[in-house]
Amino acid sequence: MKISLNWLSDYVDVNTDPVELAAILTRAGIEVEEINSSATVPAGVMTAKILSRDPHPNSDHLSICKVDPGTGEPVQIVCGAPNCDAGNIVPLATLGTVFKDPEGGKDFVIKPSKLRGVESFGMMCSARELGLSNDHDGLMIFPADTALGQPVDKMYPGETIFSLELTQNRPDWLSHWGIARDVNALCDGILHFPDITLPEPNVTKNFDNLVKVEASDLCPKYTARVIKGVKVGPSPEWLKNRLESVGIRSIDNIVDITNYVMLELGVPLHVFDRALLDGGIVVRRAAAGESITALDGKKYDLKPDMLVIADEKKPVAIAGVMGGEFSGVRAETTDVVLEAAFFDKSSIRFTSAALNLRSDASHRYERGVDPEMVEKASARAAKLILELAGGELVSPLVSVAANYAKPQEFRCRYQKIRSLLGMEISDLELASIFSKLGIEVNPLRDGEALVLPPSYRADVKEEADLAEEAARIYGLDKIPEIPVKAIQAQKFSEDTFAPTDRIRTALVSCGLFECVCGSMIGEKEALQDTRFAAEDLLKPVNPISSELAIMRPSLLAGMLDVVRRNISRRNLNLALFEIGRVFSANKEKFPEERDELMIAMTGIRHPERFSAELKETYDFYDLKGCLEGMLEILGIVNYSVKAAQDARFCNGECAELFFGKQSVGLFGRASDKLTKGMRLQTPLYMAVLSMNAVLNAARKPEEYQKLSPFPGTTRDVAFLAPLEMENAKVLDFIRRAGVKNLVDVQLFDIFMDDSMAGKKSMAYSLTFRSPEKTLTDEEVNQAHEKLRVKLERGLGVELR
Amino acid sequence: MELLEQIQAIVKDAAEALAVANDAAAVEAVRAKTIGRNGSFTALGPLMGKVPPEDKPKMGRAFNEAKQELAKLLEEAKDRVAASEGADPAKMLDVTLPGRKAPAGRKHPLTQTMEECCNIFRRMGFVATSGPEIEKVFNNFDALNAPADHPSRSAQDTFYFEDGRLLRSHTSPVQVRTMLSKKPPVRIVAPGRCFRRDTPDATHGVHFHQIEGLYIDTNVSMADLKSTLLAFASEFFGPDIKVRMRPSFFPFTEPSVECDFTCVMCGGKGCPVCKNSGWIECAGAGMVNPNVLRNVGYDPETCQGFAFGMGIDRLTMIKHRIEDLRLFSENDVRFLEQF
Repeated sequence: MKISLNWLSDYVDVNTDPVELAAILTRAGIEVEEINSSATVPAGVMTAKILSRDPHPNSDHLSICKVDPGTGEPVQIVCGAPNCDAGNIVPLATLGTVFKDPEGGKDFVIKPSKLRGVESFGMMCSARELGLSNDHDGLMIFPADTALGQPVDKMYPGETIFSLELTQNRPDWLSHWGIARDVNALCDGILHFPDITLPEPNVTKNFDNLVKVEASDLCPKYTARVIKGVKVGPSPEWLKNRLESVGIRSIDNIVDITNYVMLELGVPLHVFDRALLDGGIVVRRAAAGESITALDGKKYDLKPDMLVIADEKKPVAIAGVMGGEFSGVRAETTDVVLEAAFFDKSSIRFTSAALNLRSDASHRYERGVDPEMVEKASARAAKLILELAGGELVSPLVSVAANYAKPQEFRCRYQKIRSLLGMEISDLELASIFSKLGIEVNPLRDGEALVLPPSYRADVKEEADLAEEAARIYGLDKIPEIPVKAIQAQKFSEDTFAPTDRIRTALVSCGLFECVCGSMIGEKEALQDTRFAAEDLLKPVNPISSELAIMRPSLLAGMLDVVRRNISRRNLNLALFEIGRVFSANKEKFPEERDELMIAMTGIRHPERFSAELKETYDFYDLKGCLEGMLEILGIVNYSVKAAQDARFCNGECAELFFGKQSVGLFGRASDKLTKGMRLQTPLYMAVLSMNAVLNAARKPEEYQKLSPFPGTTRDVAFLAPLEMENAKVLDFIRRAGVKNLVDVQLFDIFMDDSMAGKKSMAYSLTFRSPEKTLTDEEVNQAHEKLRVKLERGLGVELR
Repeated sequence: MELLEQIQAIVKDAAEALAVANDAAAVEAVRAKTIGRNGSFTALGPLMGKVPPEDKPKMGRAFNEAKQELAKLLEEAKDRVAASEGADPAKMLDVTLPGRKAPAGRKHPLTQTMEECCNIFRRMGFVATSGPEIEKVFNNFDALNAPADHPSRSAQDTFYFEDGRLLRSHTSPVQVRTMLSKKPPVRIVAPGRCFRRDTPDATHGVHFHQIEGLYIDTNVSMADLKSTLLAFASEFFGPDIKVRMRPSFFPFTEPSVECDFTCVMCGGKGCPVCKNSGWIECAGAGMVNPNVLRNVGYDPETCQGFAFGMGIDRLTMIKHRIEDLRLFSENDVRFLEQF
């Protein structure tokens, strides 16, 4: 909203500099977003009379004038203007006057100077030099009766406009009077309410039936006045200027007055042409199928829960939103009905939103208009109409009012307010702030009062609201900074973020970069994950577009998109992960929301190196190593990996991770179908794991393993095994063999050649160590031999 | 020759020979000639047995000292020769060749901010909690005192599902959930993803990340709020950051304030980023509205507290001078590597 400071000063003395006033208002919650000032005349320019004009001895066009700036002591001015004739009253910039450069350049200061050898003690100005018009043909000439020595900046104060950004809880700020009330509270001024005294109406007939309210729930107060014989015409300059200064276009005197009073007192008004009304005014809900053409020329279909102002036949206005096209003031209008009313704000909000029609009136009504201001606004507008458009008041104020919610008295404990604010402020100071804001304060007992907010402060209902008022007016900057006390309000075990943080940290230590992708994707992308069918997908009913219509069922689509984008930007070496929320509409897939972990790797293992190392691309075991590293850091030891098959992965390069018997997810090489068209130069490896499983996995016991002080001894065992023999099977067999003092088994060689007849050679290094003593060769050899025999018999391998 | 003189002569000769030895072979030759298996000093060993008993202590000491001296001279010569041999260009590594990088990934900048925020608040005794992204209208709006006809509830602004539930439009429902399940005192921060129906551009997306704070106890005040945010700002942005509060309005707090931090770009002097004000808006906050307390079954007579909300995306953008929000979801590794 825009506020004119000139206008504001009609109601409150504004003696503060506009920039300072803007800061005061902003600190109090009335945010001044922008200050626009048209004031241009610098201080120091005075009205002055030219006493004499003599030619300059050294110049054709300069004159030497004696000028009286009202002091009776003429000063000498050298002037080049053609009209610096004796007798003219002109603006004189006296010594020390500072002209600011509007482009922000250097200031221009008036100093004693010499022009072609003749001294000059000031400068007479054209209107353009003062920024008052574009006239630069000569000096600005004031009327002959202008008093001398007047500061010209006070005669042409210009206009300062504040653009306010207001919060929606303060509709009482949507007028100049409303802002004046707060300026008064903040700056200790005196408020002057505008004149609303009206002549006695010349009532010759009964107006009891002028207004009928059939929907008093939506319209608790409706008032009307009838004025006869008005003359519709242009508004006077002052009115036009005021409206235009705050961005309202002048229409005609009657409409301008309703706008003016709305901006002045905050109550939207409407004027009907009496001749266009069929009978009296009916305030009712719209009938089914009814429509109206509003002042904007558009036709609106009304719904039965919308409030309209109607005459006996048809709706003539959408209540509180916009008047009708065919009932408003025209050039030939003579008799008018002036409406001032108080409508239910929810109803106006609903209607305005449903019709997608917004106006200055609906903006105010849907936030809340002061019901007690309605009669005053009506009187104010009537007074201005009589003054500016003539006519005669022929009706009293016809008012139909029902009950409406009024602010309620409540108890205020000053100590509670101090406790909320955490600052020291006395009872007296608090009471004084509330009084200044129009809140009635009735002392109850020591430290307590009964307070009654004014009708325009429906938002003040309890002590917390008073605390806000106190903080606003007393100053939030006075709230002290105190040491922060760390208390154990809750246990750290309740911290649900820390465990996920640990998993992220583990993944980062394995060399992966974290991605964060959007939660919404397109259906086609979502179904790339073959675990899900269309009916499993969760969809908002009001998506923003079809590309963002699905709540992602998995992280796959997002990750593929990230890989694709990076590859297209020639970032070819990627090691990425995401931990994110995924969604399902099918409880059998998973219940609604869960977190998933996805890893993707492609490219060269060490792109920073050179030569042969540049040929080493990520493979299945890099991905597996990543997972193993993560599990190791997290202390998860009870896991196993089994070969698996899944449409998302290449056959033969896919595995499933288990914690005990619980499946955690799959990993391996992405299927060609998924990577098609991605222009990958190296295979893409990916893992999709359940975060729940990782978060809840059993960790190894906290008790540490004692270190044996005795040396270990190693032996090797090598054998030929069938091609399908898995390493895990061998390790498992050895572990179960129960060989005493065998503490570690490491695969160190695996190979195949033609001589092996479809078998492969596997070689393991075995470490024996006792916690109690140094093992003798004989003891180790015995254990070693026992294992060899077991392997040969139990696992069916051929020892080498 | 007397035995003692022989010992001294061997040491002297060896020292001279080693002084001019300039490769490993020369040093080795001296070693072989003196303490090698057939060396001259080794040959003296058997003779020591024949020394008269009265001379034994003196001779024994001299023999051992000479042996140590020889060993020391040989070691020194060896080190000297080895050091000079290092200069052989064929054996020199090019130490400027790239190293084989140990795995060093990075968390996403948004996650880093989120974790950093959590850690700062944890040090002040807050606990980080989370909640579902699909929420009941009660938790997202009703309990938080949002008026029934508040525009943020409309399908224009908030995503809804068929069953009437919604995608949370802020992380405040976590406050509600926490208060519904626990008696005061409560001291949590709730970081997480929220959704609003904004058309994606440089500063808006359909999702964004927020961190919400809530502290309820018997006597928590605006002064605690200001101090908590000041402590946060000075840890997150640096020690010279100041906090300013301006009156504002949110349905869930009363009094409500907008919190500004000193502009990190200009240090408060004024620049285009802060629109010459020297301040940037970083948090919406206030004292929890008594209606919110009542809605979750708390008694505003016995407890009170503050709540605040900050944009993780915005904090990250300010901290790293990032101008386009979309960089966060593009996940270009050249971007991710910078944090």
